[in-house]
This record gives sequence, C-alpha cells and structure tokens, in this order.
Amino acid sequence: MSRAVSTPLVVGVKGSALDLVMSTLYFDDAVPELMTMAETDRIEDSGLALPIPVYARFQARGFPIVGTTLDYFAFRGLEIADGRQLAIIGETVLGAKAAEALGLGPGDFLVSSPETPFDLAGVYPLKMNVVGILAESHTSDDLAVFVDLKTAWIIEGLGHGHQDLIKNKDASLVLERNEKNVTANAKLRLYTEISEINLDAFHFHGDRSQYRLTALITVPHDSKSGTLLRGRYVSPAAATQIVQPVEVIDGLLQNIFRIKNVIDAIIMVVGIATILAILLVFALSLRLRQREIQTIFKLGCSRLTIVRLMAAEILIILVFSSVLCVGMMTVVDHFKNDLVRIAFIR
Amino acid sequence: MVNFKYCYLGLCLIFGIFGVVTSAESGSKRDKPTVAVANYPLKYFTERIVGNHVEVIFPIPSDIDPAFWIPEPNGVLAFQSADVILLNGATYSKWLDKVTLLRRKMVNTSEGFQEQYIQIQEFTTHRHGPQGKHAHAGLAFTTWIDFQQAIQQAEAIRNAVTKLLPEQEKHFGTNFLALKTDLLNLDRRIEEIVNRRRARPLLASHPVYNYFARRYGLNIRSVLWEPEIVPNARQWAELENIIKEHPAKWMIWEGDPHPDSIARLESLGIGSVVFDPAGNVPDNGDFLSVMHQNVQNLKSAYR
Repeated sequence: MSRAVSTPLVVGVKGSALDLVMSTLYFDDAVPELMTMAETDRIEDSGLALPIPVYARFQARGFPIVGTTLDYFAFRGLEIADGRQLAIIGETVLGAKAAEALGLGPGDFLVSSPETPFDLAGVYPLKMNVVGILAESHTSDDLAVFVDLKTAWIIEGLGHGHQDLIKNKDASLVLERNEKNVTANAKLRLYTEISEINLDAFHFHGDRSQYRLTALITVPHDSKSGTLLRGRYVSPAAATQIVQPVEVIDGLLQNIFRIKNVIDAIIMVVGIATILAILLVFALSLRLRQREIQTIFKLGCSRLTIVRLMAAEILIILVFSSVLCVGMMTVVDHFKNDLVRIAFIR
Repeated sequence: MVNFKYCYLGLCLIFGIFGVVTSAESGSKRDKPTVAVANYPLKYFTERIVGNHVEVIFPIPSDIDPAFWIPEPNGVLAFQSADVILLNGATYSKWLDKVTLLRRKMVNTSEGFQEQYIQIQEFTTHRHGPQGKHAHAGLAFTTWIDFQQAIQQAEAIRNAVTKLLPEQEKHFGTNFLALKTDLLNLDRRIEEIVNRRRARPLLASHPVYNYFARRYGLNIRSVLWEPEIVPNARQWAELENIIKEHPAKWMIWEGDPHPDSIARLESLGIGSVVFDPAGNVPDNGDFLSVMHQNVQNLKSAYR
C-alpha cells in the first residue's frame, strides 16, 4: 500500500486500471495494453507534471526488465550499493534480491529472455552488461532488472546494430543496392551485445513518438497541477486514462474485505445451523434412548451417574470431532496459497 | 594530569581540522551549480555569461569532433552530474541516442531557430581521427558560424543559467550583452568582407558551412575532404568536374590543409584559406580569437 501512496498518478491506455497499476508498481506478469511516447511529450509540454516512463514488458531469467529513465531512481529513492549508474545503452542495474538470486554483480552479463521461444523470426536476446546493484529497498524494485528505456526498445527490436553494409562488400548480404540505399537480407549479422567496438553501429528506426511504453508514472508539480492534469483525461474519447494508484489499490482491498465479510457471515450462519443440528441430534438421541436410560435407572444407577454417562459420551464425540477438525485445518492451512491459486487464479 | 590535558587538546585540534576540511569539501561540492556543454562554442559562450558563478564542464576529449563522440561511461556520468546540459541542437550530438541522460535537464540552444534548420543530402560515410565513421546526411549542425544564430544560442544559454541562478540575472545579462557585442562585431566584419562579392564561387573542404553560406549569401559548393589527408584520384576528378560548372578560386578548409593538397589546388588555380568552426577546444587562443583569425583569413578569398 505504501508504494501506491507514494506514486501520485499513473497514465496508461484505457482498460483495466488494476492491471495498469499492478504492472507499473509491482511489475506484474500481466502486461497492460501499450501506450506511446507521444503521451510523455504531451505531459511534459503541459508543464503540469514530471512524466517517468516505464516499459516493463520483457524478462531476464524470470525477473522483469524495467526500461525507464534516471528520474525513476530519484523518484523511488533508489541508491547504487555496488558499481555505478546506467550510462550507455546495453547496460543494466539490478535490484538487490534479483542480483542475489541470479548471483550477478558489476562486470557480469545478463541475457534477456525471448518473449516466446517459438518465434524464430523474432528479435535476438540482448546480452546486457551489469554495471550496478541497487541497495535493498524492500519493494518490488529489489526484484527488477533496470535498463535505460532505449535498451528496452533495442530488446523489442526498434533499435539495433549490424554489420556495416557500405564497408562490407559481401554481395550475398545484399538484396538491393543503389546510390542512396542498401537493402540487406536476413543473412546480415545483428549484434546481440553492445560494446565499445560496436556502439557506434547501434541506431533506431521509425518515429520515436510512436515507441511504446507500459505506463507513465506522473508526478504533478503541486496538487493543483495534479487536478488540472486529471481533468484532461476525463473525455470519453481519450485513448488513455489517468489513475491514482492509491484509489485503485484501496478499491482492491475494499473488495477483498467486502468478500471476507460475506464469507464470515456465511460461516456464522452455517456454524449456527451446525450447532442447532448437533443439539437436535443429541435431543433425538436422548429421546430414542429413553427406555435404555430407564433400564439403567432401574438397575440402580443414580440420576447423577446417568448424567455423567451421557456427558462422557458427548465429550468423547466432541474431542474426536475437534481432533479431526484441527487435522483438516492444518492440511488446508498448509496448502491455502496453492488452493486459492488453483481455485481462483489459474 | 598535564599529559591528559595535552591529549584532550590534541584530539580537539584533530577533530577541529577534520571538521573544517570536511565542511570545506562538502561546501565546494554544493557551492556552484554545474552546467555541462556539448561542444566548445557552447562552453565559451557559457563561460563568458556565467563568469565564476557556475562550473562549466565539457567532458568530451579535445582531440575529437564532439558531434561524433563515441560515449564512454565516465564522460556520460559527468554529463549526468550536471544541473543543466546545454546541447547545440540540429541533431549535432549523434551520441545522444546511446546514453542515459535526463531529457528534462537538456536545453536545446538552437530551438529558437529550429524552423530554419538546413536539411542536407550526403550519404557517403567517412572517418577522421580516432572517432567512428559518419555521414553528414540529415540536418546541418554547424549553427554557430552564422553569428546571428550564435547570438540566439547564447541567449538560450543566458535564459537557462538564469533559471538556475535567478539571483545572478543582472550579472548574466551584462555578460551576455558583452558577448553579443563581440559576436555582432564578427558578423559585421564578415558582412563588410563579402559585401558586393557574395556571388563569387567558393569551395568548402567539408559540408559544414551551410549556415555560414546562408547567412552571408555565399556561393559555396562542398566536397568531402579532410585537411590532414591528401585527396585520392577519385576526389580530384570529382573536384575537377565541380569547378567546370562552379569556377571557384578559393577553397575553405576546417583546419590547416596538407601541403601537397595546397600545391595541387594551386596548380588548378585554387587558393586555400582556413575557417575553423572551432567545434572543440582550440590549441591556441579561444573562440573569439579563432573567429577573428577566420575573418582575417577570409579576406584573401574576397580581395
């Protein structure tokens, strides 16, 4: 909840606000629909807030790759514990727990995971240079792999580096060559690692304003600017939405508590019904055993002894059922997370 | 008892000195805001405007063209540490796509005349010095040798540093006016030199004089030669074709040309003059002295 409180506004494509917030704040697996960089320019030009782009779509060995700018580190108060900050494309800074789990430190490499292993024509994974490890923050940032936004776009395939087609005279690389343009075929070697030697060869294609993002963390300059900015997203025709993470997470928690209250009420009703049923069973049992009780009385047992006999029987039943109940509760408690996941999530 | 007193005094002295040194160090770190610049003209303009009130850093080595710097981490970290990053604009800093810098810290000093950027078409790649090969296709970026544009860039610098240190507004304004006077003086001198001879055909060794030619109405055609390298046979043939339709008698060079190039050009009836754009820190003098020398050199071509 504190992470939601500390994040004033999030802008993303219209759709599930919960997916947007979960992806932006906690780098959840479910990636919301992607927006474009044009929205960053729009907010920047408004002069109302500082937009911090987040592109959390890709993964590296099970950890989310978060493409962002240096503003993100300042905004979250993330400090470098070992190594240095991002400087050149192709570099990565790891969250403390991600670094520990992967066993990586400055000077090591981390390869991005392909989105699908069956996409043979897809983008090559990028071998990233680990340059720094963040100090532990006890948030989802500890489990993230941070890269510059441009590096995330290279992983996506919007930017790349390859052999120099003008210098390389291998005719088998070229589909078409004229005075102003050279068109290469798929044989052209693309670089999968960015180094001092090939850095110059890396470039981007297309209109930068159409490059994609997961969301924009938006930090208004003051509360009035925040209100004005929110007012700009109320149009039903707008393709993007602005949400307050604290409201979204609060709504989620309220729903969770509302469901809990309903379940508690149901359990209470079932409990009362069960107690009444048990009382009925005992009452009927006593009535059925009326002659047996009279026989015991005629044999010479006092009324107190008969009461003690009945009480002992009830106690044995209660003890046995309690042991059975505790055993079942223990099993359910042990597997509760898996059971909830199987029953409600997947 | 006396020894104990001396020990106590000694400790106080050590901690006192340590405290003074530490506060002096932290003070020096926070005393001045920092401005990082992307080329030498911006460095010169900024230093003239800010005086001693702002620290100006230029992390690009002096032996390379700042436009084609291949970024290295320490240089980028120096840019990151600055409060403001002054860029030339017109896609000058080709390395910007390869580094992690904050967009909100960047100031495009040529934004005021971005509608007047010149688009050039030239696709051949080439290399000079230790930097990577490059082409000049895209926007012309040697904006500051049009001194009217240089004034606008200096004005953008003044605005950026005033935002950084509003209490120095008057001081920065006075310094800017002095710089503007110097730049206007250069502008006027060039106008006087080229006046009535603007149509005279000229050659340029490199396509970096686009804004210069536009401002002063000069008739310049460019080749793609390097001052320190003697052109090959293909390049000479290309030049001979050009001078058939563009009978220039002078070639403008970015730096001192190779003696063999001078001799060969003279055999074709073409003289050589140097007009150094001073993109990086000059070996001698400063921006103003280099530009005055350029203006002096230009007189030969317009005698």
